[in-house]
Amino acid sequence: MDFAVHVVDLVKVYDGRVRALDGVSLDVRPGETFALLGPNGAGKTTLIRILTTQLKPTAGEAYVFGLDVVREASKVRRLIGYVPQEMSVWTDISGYENLLIYAKIFGVPRLGREKAIEEVLEVMDLTRVKDELVKNYSGGMIRKLEIACAMLVRPKIMFLDEPTIGLDPAARKIVWERLTAFKEEYGATIFFTTHYMDEADLYADEIAIINKGKVVACGKSEELKHSLGGEIITLEVKEMPLKPDLVQELRRSGLVKEVFEGENLSVLVSDAEPALPNLMGFLKSRGVSVGRASITKPTLDDVFLKYVGTRLEERGRASEVTRVRDMIRRGERDGHL
Amino acid sequence: MAIFEKVSGILTMIELELRRLRHDRTELYTRAVQPILWIVIYGQVMSSVRAIPTSGVPYTDFITPGIMVQTAAFASIFYGLTIVWERESGILKKLLTTPASRYSVVIGRSMASGVRAVFQALIVLPVAVVIGVRLVPNPAYFVLAFIVIFLASGGFAAISILVASFMKTRERFMGIGQAIIMPLFFASNALYPIQMMPPILREFSAVNPLSYVVDATRGLLITGDVSNLLLDLVAIAIFDVVMFVIASISFKRIIE
Ligand SMILES: Nc1ncnc2c1ncn2[C@@H]1O[C@H](COP(=O)(O)OP(=O)(O)OP(=O)(O)O)[C@@H](O)[C@H]1O
Ligand SMILES: [Mg+2]
Repeated sequence: MDFAVHVVDLVKVYDGRVRALDGVSLDVRPGETFALLGPNGAGKTTLIRILTTQLKPTAGEAYVFGLDVVREASKVRRLIGYVPQEMSVWTDISGYENLLIYAKIFGVPRLGREKAIEEVLEVMDLTRVKDELVKNYSGGMIRKLEIACAMLVRPKIMFLDEPTIGLDPAARKIVWERLTAFKEEYGATIFFTTHYMDEADLYADEIAIINKGKVVACGKSEELKHSLGGEIITLEVKEMPLKPDLVQELRRSGLVKEVFEGENLSVLVSDAEPALPNLMGFLKSRGVSVGRASITKPTLDDVFLKYVGTRLEERGRASEVTRVRDMIRRGERDGHL
Repeated sequence: MAIFEKVSGILTMIELELRRLRHDRTELYTRAVQPILWIVIYGQVMSSVRAIPTSGVPYTDFITPGIMVQTAAFASIFYGLTIVWERESGILKKLLTTPASRYSVVIGRSMASGVRAVFQALIVLPVAVVIGVRLVPNPAYFVLAFIVIFLASGGFAAISILVASFMKTRERFMGIGQAIIMPLFFASNALYPIQMMPPILREFSAVNPLSYVVDATRGLLITGDVSNLLLDLVAIAIFDVVMFVIASISFKRIIE
């Protein structure tokens, strides 16, 4: 079986200085939804741009459905739909016209072209505004139009670089429902990057976490969470924050694997049931009064924290990207002199 | 089939440009102001001075084709601004992941610019006629003149795509655009016959594509003298092919 994406020891060095990819290997099975998670500058966009034949890797190999992305680039281009991180539609024509031009570029036969366009417009809820100039669209509508462009040609694989950036949560949910339906109907593979943890958690079959050009963890969401090896006990404690030497003692006691301090006291233990009474006993004997206790599984956030060392800052970043996109959009209007 | 695909890619790019023009023509009008001033003011004043020998043709008539070609070339050179914008956004990245070959993207975009340039040149013509410029009354010549302008503008647009793949910002691009067109314009036969130029400029004029374009359009629109037409067309064809090839080769680096 050919993998939808097969990457071996991929390295990309920009200008002989910036090591954007530092030996990435990963496989994506056909029909799968694959998420690439990573902090800013991790190399997500670089990987997507190599897979979509825009950039040549410095070393290593990459295949899309068995086709070499360098030597068989033109064949690869017939299989892919791509939504870049930046805005990628013409703003001085209508949404419908954008789709029409793309359909022609891809050589979608005249027969059925109209229908295909109407269909993706409908799927992305753009029918009502299809004849308006794109420069009058909201950021979210533009993103939907871009996804519609990628769907239009019914690609075997879609590469989506932060497809839902700038969309509100309700719109994100709708977009993912439509993408999932599209995938089911046409058996497409989806390869996407995101800054939204929940998105990867909910919609991806497989997740790779990438940091500084290296894949640091890969697997199904459940597996990744499991790989932390344990459960999280969260205790309501009046005396927060705890005294530092008490935290030290707790760490050394062997009762817990990890201590997270926040509003409440959270600890990572391998098995919560036997650990809980011991933990309560320990705290009581130190004069700490404990309120409610809850046991949860680790979340993808915890996984990210462990492998990358920081949490993903999605909010600030989304607004920054939206700002840049707006700037580009306005640039078009002042651009012609 | 490959050829068919390339041609249809080129036609699609032209269609894109026509659709843009249909939605917004202000740029066409604002860009028409300058050439109209050249013809109406500069042309009329110089005409009354009779300082430049134009072998019997009224001076305003003499420069009208030159000004039309200049404005078309300008429009084409600044077409690269669109390309710069498309690079800053993700459009070019996306275009280069489609089956369209980079040749058809470059040639298509250049030809699309040629279409815009033809409109740009056409818009000046009614004004010239109103102030008394007399055209050769031959529709075939008229059409041919605009085909010449279309083809030549494609070459200038290719220069502009080439420049766009090196210049990363709009401001720098503007500067370079001026620096290319103005010398070509002043060192051409657009405003005065080549015989009037100092020898060194005369030699430059022989390799200045603008001179051939002006010569062809002047013959077709004003004097009716088409004895050099074949030479002019060959020169323009060479210019186009060379520019298309160079621009296509450099195009890939535009998104790196
Ligand atoms: N064209 C380029 N030239 C030089 N360096 C680049 C280029 N593109 C990216 N880089 C650098 O390569 C590294 C990886 O960038 P990349 O865009 O792949 O990261 P990313 O994971 O997509 O980040 P983000 O979440 O911000 O989109 C960064 O250090 C970036 O500055
Ligand atoms: Mg990125």
